[in-house]
Amino acid sequence: MKPVRCAVTEARELCAGVFSFWLQTPEIARRVKPGQFLNVKVSVGPDPLLRRPISVCDVGRNRVRLVFRKVGRGTEMLARVRTGDEVDVLGPLGKPAPELRGQDVLVCGGGIGAAPLFFLARRLKKANRLRVLIGARTRAGLLLLKEFRGLGVQVRTATDDGSAGFHGMVTELAEDQVRSRGPRAKRQNVERRLAVSREPSAIFACGPKPMLADLVRRLDPIPVWGFVEERMGCGTGICFCCALPKKGGGHVRFCEEGPVVRLNEVVL
Amino acid sequence: MNPQVTIGRTEFANPVLAASGTFEFGLKFPAVANRLGGVVTKAITREPRVGNPPPRICEFPGGILNSVGLENPGLEAFCSDVVPRTRKLKCRVVVNVAGFTVEEYGELAARLDSQPVDALEVNVSCPNVREGGALFGQQPKVVEAITALVRKQTTKTIIVKLTANFVDPSETAKAAEAAGADGVTLINTLFGLALDGTGRPFLGGRNGGISGPALKPFALFCVDRVAAAVKIPVIGCGGVMNSADALDFLSAGAMMVQVGTANLVNPEAALEVWNGLRQYARQNRLSNWDRIVGRARRQD
Repeated sequence: MKPVRCAVTEARELCAGVFSFWLQTPEIARRVKPGQFLNVKVSVGPDPLLRRPISVCDVGRNRVRLVFRKVGRGTEMLARVRTGDEVDVLGPLGKPAPELRGQDVLVCGGGIGAAPLFFLARRLKKANRLRVLIGARTRAGLLLLKEFRGLGVQVRTATDDGSAGFHGMVTELAEDQVRSRGPRAKRQNVERRLAVSREPSAIFACGPKPMLADLVRRLDPIPVWGFVEERMGCGTGICFCCALPKKGGGHVRFCEEGPVVRLNEVVL
Repeated sequence: MNPQVTIGRTEFANPVLAASGTFEFGLKFPAVANRLGGVVTKAITREPRVGNPPPRICEFPGGILNSVGLENPGLEAFCSDVVPRTRKLKCRVVVNVAGFTVEEYGELAARLDSQPVDALEVNVSCPNVREGGALFGQQPKVVEAITALVRKQTTKTIIVKLTANFVDPSETAKAAEAAGADGVTLINTLFGLALDGTGRPFLGGRNGGISGPALKPFALFCVDRVAAAVKIPVIGCGGVMNSADALDFLSAGAMMVQVGTANLVNPEAALEVWNGLRQYARQNRLSNWDRIVGRARRQD
């Protein structure tokens, strides 16, 4: 697998610290599946040395979209990329998310976690009944709302400060949506709740680890597939650096067996 | 141009190897592996190991630190599940072996002697392998004992991978040579510690091994020093990112080079190193590597 250089066709800042690129790359656009990521070189030279793994947010004709948050030096360098620049990427990498048909699926994203879920949701809605929950600290942090709503599926939001949608964590909203006995449920409109309360057969989630752990705990035993983020070395399965402990011992390499893993089976 | 290199009983098609721990077993990228001189496998221990808790990797300007902790399926699973697949590779397969006692190295060598693999790289230098508080590879006597025991158990080519952590590797190289090693690899990662900004160790395994471009000047120094001290071939390793780096290692006295950390950035890095060397050889009308290997000392 050779790294490829691709042109950035649309670089913009979606909200404070969150950036979006479209990359012109017909080969990757044709092959990539939801759940997969690209490993992006953020510098020309050896510093920083390693690539930065970024999940694919959407795919268009001959192009793929990456949405990422500036968290450290590497992503800060990447955020300086402008339309017309080229970036060096390796991919698509990782195991695609499981393909489902005819199921009730809940998609739950927190913060930047909404990004990889969009590509997944777009594919899932073709053959499944889909509900989408997007959470963030504030209204401004709710990502890709227009895109998710454009899918024609039910989209609900949650904000920690109550500036939009449900006032609370997206995991609480998920619990309310799934079970009528959630702690916040009592305060919700009963009729509306009954209309949407049904147990999904699968949940896809992406967000910070504490959010994912909280979701698993609240919704157990419903299977939760999570997009996990951890430091990676190679992204290709050769260095064994991105280990996530499994319940009952051992590790999963989530660049290889993930990044979408059954959260019920790992230690977060 | 004859690009072949021979170490012990093993003939390698060219002088470029993928370094242990940085290329799995060569099975993820067989098209790359097949065009290299060989691949050195992840270290194999007698028992399976789950490795260290995450995080296992971090960066610093100049390279990375890792602390994978020798995660591997163990000797038996390696022989039954991995070897049948590596034997299909068209390059040489060198098995890196790590023991926790001197005797374990003997057991590993004895079991692998009957396997269709080409050579053993005896890892006396992993930061996680300790006896009496010191690395095996820091004591020439222990290196000699391990090498002698492995030599007794196998007729395969034996390469000893040395450390440069708190030891003069020319002393341990001489010990390996005296005990019957066919070659030595140096250097393995150097000890390193990364803190997380609040004073706690960043890596799950606490200490790590430094690799990447920052290692190269020191690795080159070690190769130059050891090549002058022993007659057996030296395999250079440490910060080889491109063919210019590889050429430096050959010039310093290495007969072969290993590409490690660069594989993490580009899985075709080792192949690019070989392509660059081949191009250099063609441009300079080399008939083999003799004119290059060790020329730094000849030109002193």
